[in-house]
Amino acid sequence: MLNYIWLFLIVIALIVGAGKDINDEVNNTYRNEIPLEVIFIPSSLPSGTVTRTEGEFCITAEQFNTYYGITLQQDEIKQKAELALSGGNMGNFIISCSETAPVMWQQMAKSISGKDKLAGKIEKIEFAEDNNSAKAVIIMEPVRFVKLRAITQAAIDFANIAVEIAIGLIGVMALWLGLIKVAEEAGLVKILTRLLAPVTKRLFPDVPSDHPAIGAIIMNTAANMLGLSNAATPIGLKAMEELNKLNPKIGTASNAMVTFLAINTGGLILIPATAMAVRAAVGSANIGVIIGTSIFAAGCATVTGIAASKLLQRLPIYKRDLIAGKNKSEEGKK
Amino acid sequence: MTDLFRTIISYISILAIPLMIAVFLIWGFLKKVKVYEVFVEGAKDGFNTAIRIIPYLVAMLFAIGIFRASGAMDVLTAVIAPVTNLIGMPPETLPMALMRPLSGSGSLGIMTELMKTHGPDSFIGVLVSTLYQSSETTFYILAVYFGSVSIKNTRHAVPVGLLADLAGMLAAVFICRILFGI
Repeated sequence: MLNYIWLFLIVIALIVGAGKDINDEVNNTYRNEIPLEVIFIPSSLPSGTVTRTEGEFCITAEQFNTYYGITLQQDEIKQKAELALSGGNMGNFIISCSETAPVMWQQMAKSISGKDKLAGKIEKIEFAEDNNSAKAVIIMEPVRFVKLRAITQAAIDFANIAVEIAIGLIGVMALWLGLIKVAEEAGLVKILTRLLAPVTKRLFPDVPSDHPAIGAIIMNTAANMLGLSNAATPIGLKAMEELNKLNPKIGTASNAMVTFLAINTGGLILIPATAMAVRAAVGSANIGVIIGTSIFAAGCATVTGIAASKLLQRLPIYKRDLIAGKNKSEEGKK
Repeated sequence: MTDLFRTIISYISILAIPLMIAVFLIWGFLKKVKVYEVFVEGAKDGFNTAIRIIPYLVAMLFAIGIFRASGAMDVLTAVIAPVTNLIGMPPETLPMALMRPLSGSGSLGIMTELMKTHGPDSFIGVLVSTLYQSSETTFYILAVYFGSVSIKNTRHAVPVGLLADLAGMLAAVFICRILFGI
């Protein structure tokens, strides 16, 4: 099933991305090659023949909305621009989009330069008598394939993020694996597993209740509930490694593994710390109001996950994978 | 009442790790375990496990990454919104519920944005906070956990994870409507 979902994500992404780009091209969403009239206000008064100057491009919200055929822009637009003029009334410009720039321009700038720079040609510029302002007709650098460019960038970025995450795990992994090894040798894990044996026997009937896997599962769940994600992942991976030692078919998920992941992805938590931090940051009057609702919802998710894992493992299509595995490993032994 | 609960739990969270380190090592020492040697022995596996995850994580995160970048979420939301409207889930919160199993940072961004626009104490604000905490980043966990033991055939893990996410979403809408309903 992971195969299908994985492929679904990729294919849908490519189809939607290409579709949006074609749509942009047909409607000319970014108004490629269509001139736009703006008022230029130089920051210092130019004298004589102007070649280089800095100032602001100003457009009223109404004019901007009509030009792009949208209704989003509310305020008058004023953005810093650098001009390089040749022959008096022609030239090029670069706009540096600040945070107040229209969303449309910010997206265009990001797509073209990856930063905040928007470039283009000045078709015509006429300074007023006193050089205080100028009427200019500009054409932006054409913007095409915004989504496909973004997809390319995301593919590369996320591949890098994946490696960064894995490398970042090495340290905490080593720390927790070391500590757990000491706890195992000292017999601490055995005490823990014996305490919770009545529960774990039912959840993981295939795993001996004093197996180190059970100890790791208990510690992982406890760490998750306390929101200690730095400790939870390494201990969880330790649990997977121990469960894999009991796995009848290497390379295929065992029943116990799926039940364990159901508990893990259910996200049982005592203090919803992340959401509470965000609530505090955006000025909530009562950040703790979600504690009860979160515990309830995560509890429902976890119970459903465990029940689903127990029910689905009996389905013939999922049973077959394991039995085929057993036969193979037996044949291997012969 | 909730404040007291919160204070107690946050103290436990802060103390848990120092306490575990102390208890593990001191107990081990008393039981005559060669603590330093055993620690190093265990820690050795850290590197291999982390490296083993990389191909699985790259496969998963790159697919999720291009899905997010393409804007396909808007399309998916438009398709599913009529169904979730029936259970009284505001359509604004649907992208949050759909993003949650795919990406932790993505859903965190959506949650923050929605709370800024609608206010953290509005129905939508409470609902997205609950939705965020009602589940985990299922696909990331599947990739990391199964990747660490080189498991390619995940059997029923994906349907189980998605059913749990669905239950979490329904439960979040249900409880928020009852307590803070509109």
